[in-house]
Amino acid sequence: MSKKSVLIVDDSLTVRQQVSLTLKSAGYQIVEACDGREGVDALRAHEGIAMVLCDVNMPRMSGLEFLESIKGDAAGPPLPVVMLTTDGSPELIARAKRAGAKGWIVKPFQTDLLLAAVRRIAGEPG
Amino acid sequence: MPGNSQEARLSELLAQCTAELLGELGIQPERLTGGRQPPPAGESIAAFSGFGSDEIRGSFTFLGPRKLFARLYPLPPTVTPRDLTDWACELVNQSVGRFRNRLLAYGVKLALSVPQSALAEELCLASSFDPTRSPISFAIDSMVLEGWLELDLTPSFRLVEDPVDRESAALREGSVVLF
Repeated sequence: MSKKSVLIVDDSLTVRQQVSLTLKSAGYQIVEACDGREGVDALRAHEGIAMVLCDVNMPRMSGLEFLESIKGDAAGPPLPVVMLTTDGSPELIARAKRAGAKGWIVKPFQTDLLLAAVRRIAGEPG
Repeated sequence: MPGNSQEARLSELLAQCTAELLGELGIQPERLTGGRQPPPAGESIAAFSGFGSDEIRGSFTFLGPRKLFARLYPLPPTVTPRDLTDWACELVNQSVGRFRNRLLAYGVKLALSVPQSALAEELCLASSFDPTRSPISFAIDSMVLEGWLELDLTPSFRLVEDPVDRESAALREGSVVLF
């Protein structure tokens, strides 16, 4: 079983629980944050987070602001961030890609596809 | 249905988005016509999301009995009121999010607000709505989910008659793209 940690940043408790249940069942450890600002704090407080799943439209700090704010924080390779949002706009997706996002998932997500994406980003066999 | 044809088209598009979303939750909703339903008895939840562009301002509000949101809740059944108001917010967010994605095919780019919700006894939406309008209503297991659309369009706003292929306009719900 993998023990990699995934940070879930979403202002919806229900979505965080849905994602958490899916990933915990595959052996991932989960850290949760309810907006971008709390997400930044969580990255500082928890060592070893392997990737982030991040909503876009959130109070206090949006997902794109979160992406910008963690750029260059890590000493090693950039932390992979996959956006998880209702928004399917190509313009916004391109903006997130330019800001360093590694993927885009449009809600409502399918659990098998979400898990496959996380495994691929985490460099684990599907 | 709103009288203005632009509003009617937007309302119908949002109704389709809501029906699609409910369908993906495994619900087969029955679309209700013929006006407003009696306010839900007991505890009910309202959740709304605002949206806007250069030519459109508006909001969409879901109203239904607490038991209905518990019926739609996607996780194991240990639900608190906080779980249900949060879920109502996410439902309206996903419904309006889908509406925003569909409107991209018409060249309309909406920005959405963060959704908000309220839980109250005998909650009734009334004062800000035109009494001649009807909500977008669905019957689900003998309960009613009402969706109230408020729109403020500029006089020049027109939805194009022939939208571009929606698949190319926005990424479809459930899609995963890795870069």
